[in-house]
Amino acid sequence: MSGFIDWFGDGSVLVQDLSLACCAVESEFAVPVGAPRVESVPPGAHLVQVISGTPTDALADVLAARLRAEFPGIRSRSRVAFGACAIAGGPYWDSWSVTKGIDQVVPVDHYIPGCPPPPEALGAFVAHVRTR
Amino acid sequence: MSAEAVRVVDAVDWLASLTAARDAGYTWFDDLGCVDEIGRSHHFRIFCALVNWDAGPLGVRFEALVPRDAPLIDSLSALFAGASWCEREAHDFFGVRFTGGDDRHILVHEPGHHPLRKDAVLGARAAIAWPGAEGADSAPGRRRMVPPGVPDPAVWGARAVDDPVPTATEVAQSAVGGRVRRRT
Amino acid sequence: MSEGVARHGSIRLIEEACTACMICVRECPAWCIHIASHTVTATDLPPGARDRTRNELDRFDIDWSVCMYCGICVDECPFDALVWAGDHHPGAASIGGLLAGREELRSAGGSS
Repeated sequence: MSGFIDWFGDGSVLVQDLSLACCAVESEFAVPVGAPRVESVPPGAHLVQVISGTPTDALADVLAARLRAEFPGIRSRSRVAFGACAIAGGPYWDSWSVTKGIDQVVPVDHYIPGCPPPPEALGAFVAHVRTR
Repeated sequence: MSAEAVRVVDAVDWLASLTAARDAGYTWFDDLGCVDEIGRSHHFRIFCALVNWDAGPLGVRFEALVPRDAPLIDSLSALFAGASWCEREAHDFFGVRFTGGDDRHILVHEPGHHPLRKDAVLGARAAIAWPGAEGADSAPGRRRMVPPGVPDPAVWGARAVDDPVPTATEVAQSAVGGRVRRRT
Repeated sequence: MSEGVARHGSIRLIEEACTACMICVRECPAWCIHIASHTVTATDLPPGARDRTRNELDRFDIDWSVCMYCGICVDECPFDALVWAGDHHPGAASIGGLLAGREELRSAGGSS
């Protein structure tokens, strides 16, 4: 869960993928081939935090800390719920242990539906953020 | 593999029966789990599947019933190290105790909460209105539809102070879903 | 995608075939389909026929936020009123933006 993807390789948009379950296969597939992984977010960059997979109540505090972390000097921050689990609990919507959507923990700016969603939908959103 | 044979044994004979089976060639531990028999009998059914790869291969499933109020059975972890993980799951999810086994919790750390018991109410299901409850076929005289997994609020929900607390059996049996008599 | 096979990302409602029987709503494991209907008396009956009623749809929603695209509704519909219809909802800025109504579902996947 550490590290950031320099999506376009030019420092314009940095993506942090919190991969919790199988949707991460798709969010990982969306990453442009050869995109560099870096350890920090440079000032002036857009930050996209992606939650792909199933958030659980047991992990909620850890996720909240990651998703609320301060990134001084960034241009914008967007949080994306990628897939049915991150949006509303998905197939586990009635489970005793699963958080019914990551927006129960932090506010979310964009919801991408699917079980799993198509990877292109994430790529399209990241490209849209770059134009801001 | 041929179909599994089922051997039902007394809970007190659990370890001895499984030991004998292992010594007879069923050396491969396949699975161990638990079924809540509430509604049929006030027991948990513990099962353990073994395979004999040298003959057949042949599969066998041992089963034993333990009382739901005091679910206790011998651990197989000395026999099959891998059984320990499955026993810890059954301990977490159903509250079954395994004598001589590993009692540490894996996932459920809430005391007394055993989410796979059939009288454990799924809060999300009970809190959201089922969209199938009312439809073109829900005329006043008809039986009403209820979803599986949500106990009847008349049994489980808010009740008067002096009303009796529903038993686990009543809660579990009111949550099977289907068409039920319409309350007036 | 091979030709003639719709992607399992969206579902089209063929409203003419739907009888508001509620089977899809009740079979949905995610509880993500919502139907409202009312009963009307048929007027196009031959003389002497017994009165007959049918259900008329008022509302048909699928909530893409919790749909798991299992296709149970498509399989279970006895009137073939639900069919796979191609691409996913592209995403929205609010969870409410993922609720697809009757008009959107009628035209899902382009005109039929």
